[in-house]
Amino acid sequence: MLWRVRHVTTYRYAETVDMATHMLHLTPRALPYQRVLEECVACEPEPARMTQGGDHFGNRVTWLSIDRPHDRFEVTAEAVVDCAFPPPPPEEDTPAWESVAAAPTPDVAEFTFASPMLPESGAARDYAAPSFPPGRSILAGLLDLNARIGRDFAFRAGVTGISTPVSQVLAQRAGVCQDFTHLMLNGLRGLGLPARYVSGYIRTRPPPGGVARRGADQSHAWVSAWLGPRHGWLDLDPTNNVVVAEEHLVLGWGRDFSDVSPLRGIILGGGRHWLDVAVDLTPA
Amino acid sequence: MHTPRDEMVDGNGRVRPHWRGVLAGFADLPPGGIEACARRMERAFEDEGVTSLLPGEAPAAGQASWRCDPVPLVLPADEFAALSAGLAQRARLLEALLADLYGPQALLAEGLIPPALVFNNPGFLRPCRDASQGWVRHPFLHCYAADLLRGPDGLWRVVADRTSRAGGIGHAQENRRMLGRVLPAAFRGYQVRPLRPFFDVWQDALQRLAPPRDADGSGDGPAIALLTPGVNHRLWFEHVLLARELSCALVEPNDLSVRNGAVFVKTLKGLQPVDVLLRRVAGPGLDPLEFDHAVGGVPGLLDAARHGTVKLANEPGGGVVEAAGLTALLPALCRRLLGEDLLLPQAETLWLADPLALGRVLDDLTGWIIRPATGRGRSQVPALMDLAERAELAARIEARPADYAASAAVPSSVAPCVVGDRLAPRPVRLRMFLMQDGARWHTLPGGLARVEDADGTTAKDVWVLNEEDSRITGPVAQPQQPLSIRRSAGDLPSRAADNLFWLGRYVERLEGAARLIRATLTRLDRGPLLPREVAELQALAQCLSHCGLAAVEDQPSGGATAALRAALLRSVAEGGVVAGLFAQVARLIGSVRDRLTADMYATFTLPLRGLRAVASQARELEALEAAMGGVLRYTASVAGVAAENMVRAGGYTFLDLGRRVERAQSVAAQLHFALAQPPSRIEGGLRLALELCDSVITYRSRYLGVLQPAPALDLVLADPGNPRGLGFQLHALHRLLTELAEGTQSDLADAAARLISEVEAMPGIVLSSQDGQAAATGALSPSLGRIEDEVASLSDAVTRRYFALLPLAQALGGQSDGEALDGNGVAEGLPADLPAFV
Repeated sequence: MLWRVRHVTTYRYAETVDMATHMLHLTPRALPYQRVLEECVACEPEPARMTQGGDHFGNRVTWLSIDRPHDRFEVTAEAVVDCAFPPPPPEEDTPAWESVAAAPTPDVAEFTFASPMLPESGAARDYAAPSFPPGRSILAGLLDLNARIGRDFAFRAGVTGISTPVSQVLAQRAGVCQDFTHLMLNGLRGLGLPARYVSGYIRTRPPPGGVARRGADQSHAWVSAWLGPRHGWLDLDPTNNVVVAEEHLVLGWGRDFSDVSPLRGIILGGGRHWLDVAVDLTPA
Repeated sequence: MHTPRDEMVDGNGRVRPHWRGVLAGFADLPPGGIEACARRMERAFEDEGVTSLLPGEAPAAGQASWRCDPVPLVLPADEFAALSAGLAQRARLLEALLADLYGPQALLAEGLIPPALVFNNPGFLRPCRDASQGWVRHPFLHCYAADLLRGPDGLWRVVADRTSRAGGIGHAQENRRMLGRVLPAAFRGYQVRPLRPFFDVWQDALQRLAPPRDADGSGDGPAIALLTPGVNHRLWFEHVLLARELSCALVEPNDLSVRNGAVFVKTLKGLQPVDVLLRRVAGPGLDPLEFDHAVGGVPGLLDAARHGTVKLANEPGGGVVEAAGLTALLPALCRRLLGEDLLLPQAETLWLADPLALGRVLDDLTGWIIRPATGRGRSQVPALMDLAERAELAARIEARPADYAASAAVPSSVAPCVVGDRLAPRPVRLRMFLMQDGARWHTLPGGLARVEDADGTTAKDVWVLNEEDSRITGPVAQPQQPLSIRRSAGDLPSRAADNLFWLGRYVERLEGAARLIRATLTRLDRGPLLPREVAELQALAQCLSHCGLAAVEDQPSGGATAALRAALLRSVAEGGVVAGLFAQVARLIGSVRDRLTADMYATFTLPLRGLRAVASQARELEALEAAMGGVLRYTASVAGVAAENMVRAGGYTFLDLGRRVERAQSVAAQLHFALAQPPSRIEGGLRLALELCDSVITYRSRYLGVLQPAPALDLVLADPGNPRGLGFQLHALHRLLTELAEGTQSDLADAAARLISEVEAMPGIVLSSQDGQAAATGALSPSLGRIEDEVASLSDAVTRRYFALLPLAQALGGQSDGEALDGNGVAEGLPADLPAFV
């Protein structure tokens, strides 16, 4: 599937900002199943300096600094990406979940530990456990958990923020993509299963005859879970109860949101500010 | 359990050869001499204001004072050489390990390092790693310290590595300096290796770390700065010492700014580039953009480091290898990374995730010290626990064995310490310091030894003996670019100027308060007051309430002065205004510690401590009067010492500026109240004005006993030669503001000039008044109140112009509006200080 994505982030400030530095995770990373054909990040006002590089997880990062006074800041990230997620293996081909938990390889072990936004949570583990009875295949367990989250939780914007803890999501049984992703990660890691947070986009406007997907017209997030050394990683979207296939595009991944926040910044001045995000994902 | 080794006495009760000289020196002392020596040492530290804790000590309530035992720990030359070689190898090993962990991570892929020890380690700072390895960092470690102890078998063992900031070296240097001051002459000829050459080499090495600068950079050599968390950090004192020893600037994160990818320090003259930062700020405190927003730091600093425009020494993230779980692997990693065996043993350390190790440790918990496997929490000593505590610890370990590591509990050797008037053996540990110059590692020929007993922790100097016929070699001479001559204040960091300005203001405010209180007390002492005196007292009470020393309801009514008396005593008690001024002065002196010589610092701080105690205990007016006399002597000595010792173009300008601003304001305010009298009482007002401006004697000598408005006003307002008069302050302000403008037109100086002409015209206006001099004098009062306000505005303008207060920084987080990415961002909980010895 060939996608064109345009992601515009606009900050308006009540008072003038004298200086600003920003760190962006807005450029899609290249993957065996994702080719980045074009990409470009532009910023208004013109930054004094803009550099690009990689982070610990291999994601693409842009750093920029603005040293002229401004009361509006707009970043436009555009990309053309060819994306073809491999299909999941047959359920019965995947190993028992216990064997996956028992022997994570060094390259995936990082995603079994607690992370800044996801400290160990007995409640999240207890929520996930019924999907993993003894001996069940890892994929069967993941699909079950993915479906249960879709059933048990209401998609409701505005009831959570970017720092809402999983315990609160569990209590109110509602949230947005980031909350469901965090809950699922927290539960899987509680069982010793490697799982990572994927930041990206989903097509929300359905093709003719298709099903409309839940998700803000903004950034999206989902889970990548490890099926063992033979099958590697598989992406699952608990918000929409699907295995990621045709409608998603990956920006990058980390342990939780804090590793791949699309835009961070430190500004001097500014007073109150208003944020506007618009994402346009269309088949190219 | 083995008997601890005695550093001084061998198994046969004989003094070891390398201790004989030291012991002989102490033996020569008269009875009581050892104790006297220890007391002199304590006083020397007190005089220097060295009250900060030893590195590694948990902060107790209040501030524990620094103690250093006068008996050094002696290391013979061959022993030091062996330690040196072993530690240099260990530093190379840790450097190689860090290069891999923040680079390709081959050791993880090979399975030599369990992932938990890195990825579940708060010292592993992910923002400091680029998976594509585009971040070249050599050296990763610039300095390194290790904690050692010597076991009963006579072998030194490493018990902990300090790879993050390697603190304590300033303390070691300070111990040596103090010891040199108090030790008897008998030691003068002793062949001890000096510490200074190490610092020379270090200074040199720091210069070489500097990245190449663009052609448009300044012509001077690279700019080195020591980055400290600031005056509130408990190792602040060490940072001041170290910056001085290395002749580099001392900066706080707020002094720095990153522009266009380069790092600058904000000075009065604008931004000055910085090439190398000797880092004493914890990694997560470096850059709020990439670490936890809440911790603060310099936005963009990591980006600058990543692109090599600034060198951070040490590179952030080195703390990851301090984890005990990784220590357990070092013997194996040394063979893998260096192809060598560890030269210097370490206390046997085990990671308890290994069931065999867990079994061994649980079998006999008392033989081990339990440490967190990765975090930097406290070590636990099962041998000191009762049975129940031990069982509880064992249960905690069994529940989560991977969270723990254990080190063999090796009894430390003992060294002689002063106890009363004799020497007694006490267990001792040693911290040694290393630094690499790009080619090899150098070890400080000395260190910081520590003795722990029931009274707490005492430091010891470490003496490394000279080898026979060995030569002391200084650093290799480095060709240095000639410095351009500078005489301006421009290089003063804005923060330092700000602090000095406010120190000047607060010392003066304290003095003003003392003068007012004393002037009031002399009237309260007199018994029944004449009507004239009642009017003076009322004017004084207005002055007092104007500066918060008394409330409006404390005003004397008729002869009733009880409320005013009580108010004055309240002002010096805990929580009172004067007590608050003392605290501000003390805080500001601490914050400009790096701008003062040791003698100046002692003059500023020592009397202050006593004064605060005396003032806060004043319960009646005589005691209060005595305390205020002390305050005036103190402020006079501060002013005198500053005037005689501080270079004019530097911080002194701002100290003086602060004082003049404050005094101009208070003189204007006091004259405003003193002169607000009906014509019949104006003589009393003038008398008070002369008294408040300390000008009674001068007036009498000039005009004998005749009190008239115009001459009196000339003396307190216009005479530029009266250092207590208003005119003098304004002239000084004009001069200082003109100097700061450095030849450019200054609107601030112009504002001061306007005030001068207005004040100088005042005696003339009174002299030529149609309504009589008395009435005209009273009419000046409102103008003086206005002048007070204008001086205050001038002070605000100075603050805006020179101290460059930046607007508040805020963090933007990502998806949701208005919400900063929450504080639990990255690498939480790394304590900003040094951990305890294990």
